[in-house]
Amino acid sequence: MKIRIDLTVNGEHHQREVDPQTTLVEFLRESLRLTGTKEGCGTGDCGACTVLVDGNPVNSCLMLVADAHGCRVTTIEGLAEEGVLHPLQQSFIDQGAVQCGFCSPAMILSAKALLDRNRNPGEDDIKKALSGVLCRCGSYKKIVESVLALAGNEKENV
Amino acid sequence: MSEMKTHSVGSRIPRVDAKDKVTGHAIYGFDVDLPGMLYGATLRSPLPHAKIVEIETSGAKKAPGVRAVAEGRDFPFTFGTAIKDQPFLAVDRVRYVGEPVVAVAAETEAAAMDALQKIRVKYEELPAVFDPREALKDESPLVHPHLERYPHSGHPIVPGTNICVLRTYKVGDMERGFAEADEIFEDEFSAHAVSHATIEPHVAVAQYLPATNHYTIWSSTDRPYLLSRELAVALGIPADHIRYIVPYVGGAFGGKNTLVAEAIAVALARFTKGRPVKVVFSREEELTATQVRVGAFMKLKTGVKRDGTLIARSADIVWDSGAYISNSNGVAIRGAYTIFGPYRIPNVELVSRLVYTNKEISGSYRGYGTTQVTWACESQMDVIAHRLGIDPLELRLKNAYAEGDRYINGQVLHGVGLKKTIEKAAQEIGWGKRGQPSSPTTRRGKGMAVILKGTLTPTNSCCFIKVNQEANATVICTTPETGGGQKTVLSQIAADAIGLPLDSVVVTSPDTSITPYNDAVGSSRTTFHMGNAVVKAGQQVRQKILDLAGRTLKADPRRLNLFEGRIYEEGVGERITLKALLSRTFGPAIDLLGEGFYTPADSPLLAADPNLEGWDARMSSIFWMFATHAAEVEVDTETGVVKIVKVAAAHDVGQAINPVTCEQQIEGAVVMGLSNTLFEELKMEGGRILNDSLADYKLATVSDMPRIVPILVEAQHKEGPFGAKGVGEPAAGATGPAIANAIFDAVGVRIKDLPITAEKVWAALKRKEGRGD
Repeated sequence: MKIRIDLTVNGEHHQREVDPQTTLVEFLRESLRLTGTKEGCGTGDCGACTVLVDGNPVNSCLMLVADAHGCRVTTIEGLAEEGVLHPLQQSFIDQGAVQCGFCSPAMILSAKALLDRNRNPGEDDIKKALSGVLCRCGSYKKIVESVLALAGNEKENV
Repeated sequence: MSEMKTHSVGSRIPRVDAKDKVTGHAIYGFDVDLPGMLYGATLRSPLPHAKIVEIETSGAKKAPGVRAVAEGRDFPFTFGTAIKDQPFLAVDRVRYVGEPVVAVAAETEAAAMDALQKIRVKYEELPAVFDPREALKDESPLVHPHLERYPHSGHPIVPGTNICVLRTYKVGDMERGFAEADEIFEDEFSAHAVSHATIEPHVAVAQYLPATNHYTIWSSTDRPYLLSRELAVALGIPADHIRYIVPYVGGAFGGKNTLVAEAIAVALARFTKGRPVKVVFSREEELTATQVRVGAFMKLKTGVKRDGTLIARSADIVWDSGAYISNSNGVAIRGAYTIFGPYRIPNVELVSRLVYTNKEISGSYRGYGTTQVTWACESQMDVIAHRLGIDPLELRLKNAYAEGDRYINGQVLHGVGLKKTIEKAAQEIGWGKRGQPSSPTTRRGKGMAVILKGTLTPTNSCCFIKVNQEANATVICTTPETGGGQKTVLSQIAADAIGLPLDSVVVTSPDTSITPYNDAVGSSRTTFHMGNAVVKAGQQVRQKILDLAGRTLKADPRRLNLFEGRIYEEGVGERITLKALLSRTFGPAIDLLGEGFYTPADSPLLAADPNLEGWDARMSSIFWMFATHAAEVEVDTETGVVKIVKVAAAHDVGQAINPVTCEQQIEGAVVMGLSNTLFEELKMEGGRILNDSLADYKLATVSDMPRIVPILVEAQHKEGPFGAKGVGEPAAGATGPAIANAIFDAVGVRIKDLPITAEKVWAALKRKEGRGD
């Protein structure tokens, strides 16, 4: 049995027939070939698969794509516009927050969800917002600095 | 030839791989997807030690979507460079819970997993042994009853026992040394197994082409050449019949340098008629069936003069190899030496034994043994200091290696910035001043630890550099980007060696059919070894460019200079851009290829005691890394909970090619070090790991991060590229003992067995209260 889903990913509308047990991360990586979303455990513990669903960070390995029916999904591929990096992407580069990079998409999207609802977060707010994503390279210091560098930035699209 | 100027080197340059990674465009081994690709899954042993009586796979073979089922007798090869002890798939015996027994390749991952359910394996359970100290006893079951029959690399094994490495070493006169000591300290310490826990799991895609007997392997590994050689030896085929392609690696830390996912993928690919097979490990497999840091039980006996002078130390280490040796031999041989610390001790004696047990395989882990032995060495230094009433800082400064001191094999040490790291870390942490606790029930304390780490010596690196008609350069080398900033650092070195701007340089990813030999990313060797090869190749191509410019511009090439892509003539100024020069001249008559090769094999810096032979003669390191971590902690006296307030981490890096990548290594290693020390532990029952998820195997999160201050000390190395050494490994080893020593300073209890849990601290506080001291 297949079910029909209808959702928006990075501003693009998709209508598909999927197996009901398909997870959102499987759909993104295998059906849409958006491989910027990673998967590190499949059980919601590492956070590497974090994407934004209607602006909220979710573990896409735990969410069925059927449950994203009618939703707006943002993945890391949806952040840069016409080749111009999102300020968070640029800040991660500038502050040296990227090492192996496997958690970077999830960190950046988690940080985006924070900044979208709180333009001026403090260090504790940032730590709380990012604590669901594990980074074994231990880049936490520079990741927090990357987000802090944008705190208070009133520009659009942060 | 005109002198190289540094422009990129030493600058805080953003990483060249960062843009790929923040946009999601970086392709990792995890992302590799090929036409016709099948998916592999593995049935693993549920028992720690058993004979395989029968394997029934007919149900799985008929299952929907299944294209191949492989068991040990179908693919009866073994591998292992130290000892050829490990089957791809268990043949007649399983030796740990999680050992691969049957593998299935199917059209989808789900079909492969479903087919595993249809396999029946009958076992006859055997007695098992889990503690390496038990495994040393005569009555212990033997994990490998016929150890002597395996081919091995020539290191001492002990047939008829579970000892797969026995390494002993002695300098001086132990009896006299201890007799001359005013105080003798005897302590036992243990360092536990921890998981590398890279966020990208182990992954390999293997394709076998029967017509040519060639394998192509896409893998997340840090040593493609060594693994292709290991596979070739195992399979009995020429090494160039195995092609390794390495995309971005999502973290390695020593955990991706043996045949892990490859072993399954290669075995399956043999039976899929040319279709590639992808094997991605689940997190459960990552934690239970890859490899872990080698657990160690360490006895230290140290003789000291009343003034704190170290005079003799004997060390006895029992290492837990797990079921197979993998690359733990290097830990038990080379890693063990650093238990003597970066200290002048005239009389030393080592007995190091690596012992098989029926547990997950151990292997290299960031630091290659030094994190474990530094735990013992630096904890005992603190014990000594407190008992003698000497400031731990002063005790270390008194005994610490300085430039020109001799290592335990007689090698004259060069590039020794150790004392400066001690002083700078102490200064940053506010040594000697007690911090203000945040509540009436907590106490603050400070502690420090030093570390030295060598690099595997000698090892080789080669590279090519080609410059194209647009005046851009490609560094062609087999250096995987594992997250350590390898591409960035090599780009910077190439840019300055040639005389190009940084954005004109790219570094390839490994493909062993094209990129030339390199030992590995590991042993903190990339900056030094590949960096030196890149300098040579870069200088060669630079000279070719200057000669070409001389001919074209009718100038003396000796008066020409290439800097940031522009050619200058002495006394004249800028003559032409390289791009303009090449647009005029590029064509059939031009050679713009450089080649570089570096090995320290003949370096005079390696000279040691000429009387040493065999393994004893192989102890010199072409460079030595030194670091000091100083920690401030706050201990809750009611709960035993330890909070790390701050870590000051001073590292002698020789010369920072890029301060940002150095800081990344140091800051990241402090997080890893505290995570290993306070949170991580594989809980085991009857040989089975109970906490096989990241919910139960706790890693440090951003919320656990203390204030970290990285400090770079630069004691330049005369053979290093621009004076650089390495930094990646030693960083993780000093944090743990610095924390333990700070806990002692705060509340007077000493934890000798890792990890430092709140329960252990609390119990020690209760015992101390009970004693009334």
